[in-house]
Amino acid sequence: MAEFRLDCLYEACPIPLLKAHKKLQQMKIGDLLILETDHNCSIVNVVDWVKKQGHHVDYIEITEGQWEIFIEKQK
Amino acid sequence: MKIYNKIFKNPWTYRTGAVLLATFNILLFYTTGRMWRVTNGIVSIGAFILEKIGLEPSKWYYFTTYRNIDIKTSESFLANPYILLNLAIILGALISVLLASEFKWKKIKSKKQLGFALLGGVMMGYGTRLSFGCNIGGYFSAIPSFSLHGWVFAFFMLVGAWVGSKILVRYLL
Amino acid sequence: MSKAIEELKLKRQGQFKKRSSQVPCGMICIVLAVAIYALSLQISTNHSTFWIIGILIGVTLQRSKFCFSASFRDPVLVGSTSLLKAIILALIISTIGFVAIEYSNSGGSESLDWIKTMGQVHPVGIHTAIGAILFGAGMVIAGGCASGFLMRMGEGFLLQIVVFFAFMMGAVIGTWHFEFWDKVLISNSPTIFIPDYVALPFATIGQVIILLFLYFLADWYDKKNSIMSM
Repeated sequence: MAEFRLDCLYEACPIPLLKAHKKLQQMKIGDLLILETDHNCSIVNVVDWVKKQGHHVDYIEITEGQWEIFIEKQK
Repeated sequence: MKIYNKIFKNPWTYRTGAVLLATFNILLFYTTGRMWRVTNGIVSIGAFILEKIGLEPSKWYYFTTYRNIDIKTSESFLANPYILLNLAIILGALISVLLASEFKWKKIKSKKQLGFALLGGVMMGYGTRLSFGCNIGGYFSAIPSFSLHGWVFAFFMLVGAWVGSKILVRYLL
Repeated sequence: MSKAIEELKLKRQGQFKKRSSQVPCGMICIVLAVAIYALSLQISTNHSTFWIIGILIGVTLQRSKFCFSASFRDPVLVGSTSLLKAIILALIISTIGFVAIEYSNSGGSESLDWIKTMGQVHPVGIHTAIGAILFGAGMVIAGGCASGFLMRMGEGFLLQIVVFFAFMMGAVIGTWHFEFWDKVLISNSPTIFIPDYVALPFATIGQVIILLFLYFLADWYDKKNSIMSM
């Protein structure tokens, strides 16, 4: 089980989602992806999309206005 | 604390947002006789700045012929209430983000990002003058006012978004 | 929830100390908003209404992360339409609300035409298409539509302040060029107000039915869950 990290700080809206999508395709089932973002929309946008794809997902806020989204690839 | 978190911390559903935005637009129309628009105010600020540096935008064809701006003939551009509305939206968002303790200055990442932001902004701004309104005045308020241009705008905005997505995936990712 | 994520969450959560609260700053901003409201009340009630509704719109946009740009982009980019469906719902509500205002103001007779004179009714033609394509492409690459960049300026995005000034520049240049476009395209285009062709009650019902149809179409598209164009 590998762990990947994606730095999406200061990126505007669809970029975090697109980067996550690209990265997820390269990963194996069971791998973990940590996505760092400070875009307020991403925690809804990315989380909803990942859920819809059927992966496990959750997020925490690490400082004011900055989040880490955890994704576990399922399929 | 639980209620506070529910209202001010956790994101609302899109559906809640939609119902509230529609309600506010109806309220605005009911109380002032005006619908929600964004670009109108921004053009007024721009025209005011041009006036300050010595140009005469009030003599432009757009202002003399169409008077699509919400001020009376003798008033200054700053009297446009839509300027106030735009400032209020910024302050409202700031209040909401501070109450959630999620405010953070987000700096510009790269020159490329800056360049695309400038290009995108100018394209949007120019587009609004051709099509009488942005995504609010030309779409969110235009379709409920039964104007055909709202529907045409919506369809071609989808085409535009498709073109934009292609550019985005190609150059920005 | 998966075990791996739970472990990771606990591990990462422990590494950061308790966050400071920004609520006091928020309170100061609320006081500022109320103060400006009181001031504008003395100038005109019209302006103060604009102010207070603007604040409410700003809060709603930020809390629900409402993004028009995403509603058009996500169906194309990732095949998700949850935002588009929300906007269609808002359009249905506004349609009904505007018609209700029309009737309450004109007392049932259609002679006043409140919506037609005060609403967003403008010429439609090729210029609409050109403008909309420019706008649509622009909002996706700038990362925010007109309401979106206002909201994100409040959230502290320096990039969106750049977008704001670029937008203003573009809009002013467009205003300046307006004479050219008017002579070439706009003055030849008709202004089509749908209730001029079909009576208002039918136009209302028809529009709601079309919007409902689009809503279910969007719902079906979302379930198909396609990822195109990637």
